[in-house]
Amino acid sequence: MQSKRLGWILLAPTLVILFFFGVLPFFYVVYVSFHSWNPFAVNPEMVFNGADNFRKIVFDTAFLKSIGVTVMFVVFAVLSELIIGYALAQAFMRDFPGKAIFRTIHTLPLIMAPIIVGSVWKLMTTPSIGIIPHYLEEWFGLTMNIGTSAPAAFATVVLMDIWHWTPLVTLTLIAALVSLPPDPFEQAQIDGAGKRQIFWHITLPMIAPAVVATVFIRLMDALRTVDEVWMLTGGGPGSATRFVGVHIFKEVFPKTNYGYGSTISVIVLYLTIVSCWLLYVTMLAPRSKRG
Amino acid sequence: MSNPHQEPLVSVLHEEENSPDILPKPTGFLPIETNWFDRVFISVVIWIALSLFWFRFIEPMGPSIWISNAISAALAFIIVKKG
Repeated sequence: MQSKRLGWILLAPTLVILFFFGVLPFFYVVYVSFHSWNPFAVNPEMVFNGADNFRKIVFDTAFLKSIGVTVMFVVFAVLSELIIGYALAQAFMRDFPGKAIFRTIHTLPLIMAPIIVGSVWKLMTTPSIGIIPHYLEEWFGLTMNIGTSAPAAFATVVLMDIWHWTPLVTLTLIAALVSLPPDPFEQAQIDGAGKRQIFWHITLPMIAPAVVATVFIRLMDALRTVDEVWMLTGGGPGSATRFVGVHIFKEVFPKTNYGYGSTISVIVLYLTIVSCWLLYVTMLAPRSKRG
Repeated sequence: MSNPHQEPLVSVLHEEENSPDILPKPTGFLPIETNWFDRVFISVVIWIALSLFWFRFIEPMGPSIWISNAISAALAFIIVKKG
């Protein structure tokens, strides 16, 4: 009884902070999403308009397009980060000269703020002064201008995200690989299993929870990417890199449409939760059913 | 007087006493193992998806959103009770 009370007392500060900074703002956003509210307009009152914002959102082509662009970005970025991160994690499991230095350098992007990453990549990709367009033209004769070419802008944003976040995936997968017991691998080798069989039937099932956790983190991060993209392309050219986070920013800040912006946020939260839940169900939940 | 050879060993009895009861788990129609919170969550997810679908494709033809809500409530009841 005493320990139970002590447990609640120790938990209380966290729960209070979580309530005021997590739960309460969430319910407030849901509340605002059912209102029409422009606090800088002539009438700054919050007016209840039922589900009108949700009626509007399903026909909002700019929003639907931004969802499509975001999904494409998430698929390309997260898949690439997972594949490259796994390959690097496997490389770091072996010894090679300069491993410690390489691992440190490889982790450096992680400590950079996204806005800095955006500005560095903007410098590197600006046609007149950037190193990337310069060498692309000198070596391959290619012209790169992310201000006018939509595919180039999209590819650059994906590359920037991969460069920034692959180290996180690598570190998580290294932790998972290090904790694997050696016995199943030795047994599989004795039984004559090939590298591919060992990967699909032993390594991947054993690191699946870590992979899913990493994908959760990256998926949630990628779905709300704003600052890097805002700095690099500003959502352009056209709407090529207008991800849903950028769309919400443009709706809420320049247009000061707080009610509709909250509705978009609620829908994005819904999509994020549903995609994470589907991922969990497909990768982890069936196992608990069999168990 | 009972025959001592027919009685189970003391260690077996002890193990039986300490072992957790193995009861057949109730299985619903959902393809995954769920508790009541999971089923409420699934119901809310379906409710929102159906409402958005209704707004986009059905409501412009006339039927009110309340029909969608009634369908969602019925589905939620079935999922929570029998899922």
